[in-house]
Amino acid sequence: MSSLNSSSSTMGNKPTNCLDSHQQQLEDDDEETISDSFICCVCLDLLYKPIVLECGHVSCFWCVHKSMDAIHESHCPICRHPYHYFPTICEMLHFLLLKMYPLAYKRREEQILEEEKANGCFSPQLDSKEFYSSDGSRPSAVSDLASLSGIASAGKHSSKMDSNGSSASKENDLSAVNINRTYERVSSNDVLCPSCKLLLFRPAVLNCGHVYCEACIVIPEDGIIICKVCEYPHPSDRPNVCLDFNNFLEERFRKEYAAQRESVEQKQERFHHKNPSSCSGSKKSAKKVCCRPTRHGEESKPTENEHKPKVHAGAGCDYCGMYPIVGDRYQCQDCVEVMGFDLCGDCYNTRSKRPGRFNQQHTSDHRFELVKPRALPSNVMLRIVGGYLVDNSGAPVLAISAMEDPPDGWIAVESLEARQNLFNNVADLDGNPGDIMHDNGDSPDGSVEIEFSDAVEVSGHHDDDNVDQYGGEDPPF
Amino acid sequence: MVDFARVQKELKECNKEMNVSGISVKVKADSLSHLIGTIPGPVDSPYEGGSFLIDIVLTDGYPFEPPKMKFLTKVWHPNISSQSGAICLDILKDQWSPALTLKTALVSIQALLSAPEPDDPQDAVVAQQYLKEYQTFVGTARHWTEAFAKTSCHGIEEKVQRLVEMGFPEALVKSALEVVGGDENLALEKLCSS
Repeated sequence: MSSLNSSSSTMGNKPTNCLDSHQQQLEDDDEETISDSFICCVCLDLLYKPIVLECGHVSCFWCVHKSMDAIHESHCPICRHPYHYFPTICEMLHFLLLKMYPLAYKRREEQILEEEKANGCFSPQLDSKEFYSSDGSRPSAVSDLASLSGIASAGKHSSKMDSNGSSASKENDLSAVNINRTYERVSSNDVLCPSCKLLLFRPAVLNCGHVYCEACIVIPEDGIIICKVCEYPHPSDRPNVCLDFNNFLEERFRKEYAAQRESVEQKQERFHHKNPSSCSGSKKSAKKVCCRPTRHGEESKPTENEHKPKVHAGAGCDYCGMYPIVGDRYQCQDCVEVMGFDLCGDCYNTRSKRPGRFNQQHTSDHRFELVKPRALPSNVMLRIVGGYLVDNSGAPVLAISAMEDPPDGWIAVESLEARQNLFNNVADLDGNPGDIMHDNGDSPDGSVEIEFSDAVEVSGHHDDDNVDQYGGEDPPF
Repeated sequence: MVDFARVQKELKECNKEMNVSGISVKVKADSLSHLIGTIPGPVDSPYEGGSFLIDIVLTDGYPFEPPKMKFLTKVWHPNISSQSGAICLDILKDQWSPALTLKTALVSIQALLSAPEPDDPQDAVVAQQYLKEYQTFVGTARHWTEAFAKTSCHGIEEKVQRLVEMGFPEALVKSALEVVGGDENLALEKLCSS
């Protein structure tokens, strides 16, 4: 996956339909009082395709992706907790929200879909049937958009009757009633821990989007948490409890939750009696164990290395979610989506089969190519990514080194006029092997001479031998 | 493209609590990307009693990029340029987070007014004065508040009066004065150009 730049990714409404949608939203909100717990802190609207970060804070799929730093470590918008892996959508929360707020969620779906169409870049489609059948642990009779439209219209009707009937009562009472009613649409079967099969207690969400009780996440000897549902390794430390979700569970299932709390507390007590010294399963020990030096070695932090740049700005791994990719990057040569399809070295080697993070139609017979990072001065890159590069005066000179072999028949002609487009579209810049910025693979100090020429041609049919496949010498100009 | 749906929500929220916080945000022109914020000078500071106008421009990346904010009202403060009104505040630069809002940013600016950080100055002259002659600094800041931050509320009637006498319609005069932060000459310029 690759980043879109901010100007090409329009998440806001166009000013023309701004009022309409606002009106629509007010109508929806009248009928479905949305609890503050489920308002995204970034778009200030109902969460759509929620993602739970390591720190336990929730935001929408696109809100998280766009808040991420294309070059450095990202930080939670709320608590600034640093993270490096773009998590998968939490499907449990997604279907909960769909159940509780069918109208508002539908409105959000339409709104986001419109924006996605405009950008040509789509978030993963969550098909409830597929999800539940692959999961296996839950009944498949749960929410489905088609069946929900029935609930939606019913809900609409009843809430209208209600608001007429209780027009004399205070607004607060009404919203409390509404919240209770929406909460009641969720049954305890929807919120079971896949590990203990009981009601979730202090839920924490792994990078793959699966939710467990905090206590059910066991950290093995090697420190790498493996999800029991999808068997995918969680790439970082033990996740924090998602407090918004926890508060919802506590409020909705008071009795069951209290019972759970008691049993967990008893268990803990017994445990402490047995081994008073050890505290495995507690937060502290988790932190210690998780300082694993193995997985990404020294490059676990995406810092720019002067001599051998390893950070692939704006490119993320579609399996583990590492963004930006640090280390080796394999780019799919056959995916046609704007976002492209990329893997980090580890995921490429394990050959894991997971769907892409942006609904790419990637299949296992697609070809991959090892791509080297562009060794651009980071400040220039920042400005490009931020869409700041407006004047050409300060622009550096671009040089070309054919570090990767363009696909057969690929001919790219970049002119000065195309330069602006290039800077305005990082996705293009990122996805096209023939674009005018290639890094200088063999440059010893990592610096790159950058040069704009009126018409630069990178031909797919290399006649001259002095162009290696991966970063040979600069081709003569 | 600015997320206008969010901006509208922010405006609604902020202006709902205006009576409590004293902070308000208004749309400057037809576009939602150019706004004017107002913050009251914090109590127990040389800025008490003043009303400060802040020019807000939302870039395309908002809320993933910070809003561009600067003082329209002249302020004597180590972290605010006495010439341009530019503000030196980390959350308006690299420490911005998309979970922050226009209101929280304005609250932070208000807090900056009560707690200057002379070690990280925007205006070196003011910062020097703050460190070396604190009493003079307080005097100047208070004087500037009197001279620039109060006129917009105090002498506004007289200014309107004078401009109306020049032949401009009263409603236009009021809006022009509001937009330029109460500066009579700027308002006149605006009225003549429109």
